[in-house]
Amino acid sequence: MIDFVQNTLDGVMIGSSYALLALGFTLIFGVMRRLNLSYGPTIMIGAYLGTLLHVDAGAGAAAVAAATVLGAALAGVYVERLCFAPMAAGAGIASMVSSFAIWMQLEQAAILVLPRHTYAFPPLAAGAPLTLGPFLVRLDHATMLIAAAALATGVYLVLHRTRFGLGLRAIVGNPVAAHLVGVDVRLSTLAAFALASAVGGVAGYLVLAVDQQVTPMFGMWATFKGLIAMMLGGLGSIPGAILGGLLLGAIEAHAQWYFGPHIRDLVTFAVLFLVLVLRPTGLIGEAPPAEAAAYGRA
Amino acid sequence: MDDHWVGVLSNIGVMSFLALSAYLLLLTGEISFGQQAFFAIGAYAAGIGTALWGWPLAAALGWAALAGAAAAVLVGLPTLRLHGLYFAIATLAFAEMVRILFEMWRYQVPIDGELLGPDGADGFRGIRYVFESNIEPSQYLAIIYALLGAVLLGFLLLERSRLGVSLRMIGEDPELAELNGIPVKRCKVLAAGLAGSLAGVGGGLYAHLTTYVEPRTFDVMLGVHSLAYGLIGGLGTALGPVIGVAIDISVLESVRMFAGYRMIVFGGLVALLLIWRPRGLLDETVVHALKARLRSACRCVWMSARVGETRR
Repeated sequence: MIDFVQNTLDGVMIGSSYALLALGFTLIFGVMRRLNLSYGPTIMIGAYLGTLLHVDAGAGAAAVAAATVLGAALAGVYVERLCFAPMAAGAGIASMVSSFAIWMQLEQAAILVLPRHTYAFPPLAAGAPLTLGPFLVRLDHATMLIAAAALATGVYLVLHRTRFGLGLRAIVGNPVAAHLVGVDVRLSTLAAFALASAVGGVAGYLVLAVDQQVTPMFGMWATFKGLIAMMLGGLGSIPGAILGGLLLGAIEAHAQWYFGPHIRDLVTFAVLFLVLVLRPTGLIGEAPPAEAAAYGRA
Repeated sequence: MDDHWVGVLSNIGVMSFLALSAYLLLLTGEISFGQQAFFAIGAYAAGIGTALWGWPLAAALGWAALAGAAAAVLVGLPTLRLHGLYFAIATLAFAEMVRILFEMWRYQVPIDGELLGPDGADGFRGIRYVFESNIEPSQYLAIIYALLGAVLLGFLLLERSRLGVSLRMIGEDPELAELNGIPVKRCKVLAAGLAGSLAGVGGGLYAHLTTYVEPRTFDVMLGVHSLAYGLIGGLGTALGPVIGVAIDISVLESVRMFAGYRMIVFGGLVALLLIWRPRGLLDETVVHALKARLRSACRCVWMSARVGETRR
């Protein structure tokens, strides 16, 4: 029983970073109705920028965090301009494939700048683990959970308490109608893309600071973890993204504990497959009305 | 032809099967991130056929096609109810499950004092049928392209058939197709099965080309690549995906001078190409225009021939 609770606790803490990854993904998908496969690699560009500062200039944790988030946002803007803004409304698959091509490009650019397989990444919070009765909580895990919760709340407030957020929600509902009532759809979309990439940047920073190392596999890892968490919770739903992320973390922690890393991934994909087949809208998502239209036609 | 180019062309031929498999589903409007699973199943099935069971290549390839089709129909039945991204991610989850299962699967048989067969993450070595039967690489290349030619001919016939029209119609608007009496579900499962068998044959050819397969080859990147090929080459004709593969593999092979900048150049070019032509080089409009021109050219030739006849 103690093991079970401890695993759940660990899983949820790791899962908070997945939740942030899914949150950024779902923001982009909600506004665009298109899949940005380059999402992970844009985060990786930020992380590599931070690592470069750390390796070359000995920058500390704060500067590395800022560089990671800023770099991810800028790379996100690049992807939006090249793969999403120029495509017509019906060209969802073209955008997706284009973002895949840019994935290859960003990954190679990162490897050119920092060619070694692993680089050290500055840790987040060092110190003895906290004890809660019989349970242990790593300090950096706790920091990660708190930062993730704060950021998710912040994104929620931006979406629901600001004019910009209102405009975004109008675009999610119906882009043409939003344009007609005076929302600058192109600019808002670009800003949402940058915001989502920055949220992903924070998630990436937290994960890497806990791992204390970065590898070129990180882009792919982030894309797929975010994608899985988003689909588990429900496409285009913020509470869904959070729930999906936390659940994915918990599932992984338990499966790892009982069966080891190989079966862990098998279990994750089996759960994802079953959730999609049995409950296609994800655990708490609603079927977005325009989704079928955007993807039904290439 | 030197060995290097035989290798490059063989690769293009084998990958074309996978690209055509993804293309067939794209025609019905579905994005699959999972065709590499059927490619993997075909590779293992055909490899086991020749290396462990001592079958001839043709039988092993047929068995690979069957295994690929059966798996695709089995997955297609529950997943084809889904649309768009939901279907794409369900196929991705399935394909990753298949890859992980292959990483754990061991089935080894002693053949001539040597253990052969799938060995988990270490892969499946010793699929040496082509070498042992004294088939030259250039002869194997001919086998690959004969099969690919047959498949392209099949696509040509499909495009002219009622089924082909139905598939494209479903891709345009599944509800409208349903209202017009097209059995959408059955057509989609059929397309998935055919796509699975194409990937299966491709996998079988791949296993015999490389003599060695390992599960990590069949990851999501392979699946997304196969999808991208159709969009680069064009969705208007089955030649599109083949052109897409040829561009990718031959450009990557020939532009060695870019060395470390290869993907930067290629990724950027693909992104620009897709802005210019969102449905690929040979999209529907181009294909229609080409067909119309070809038809009028034929008519000209035919007419002038008849004019010649009457004069005589």
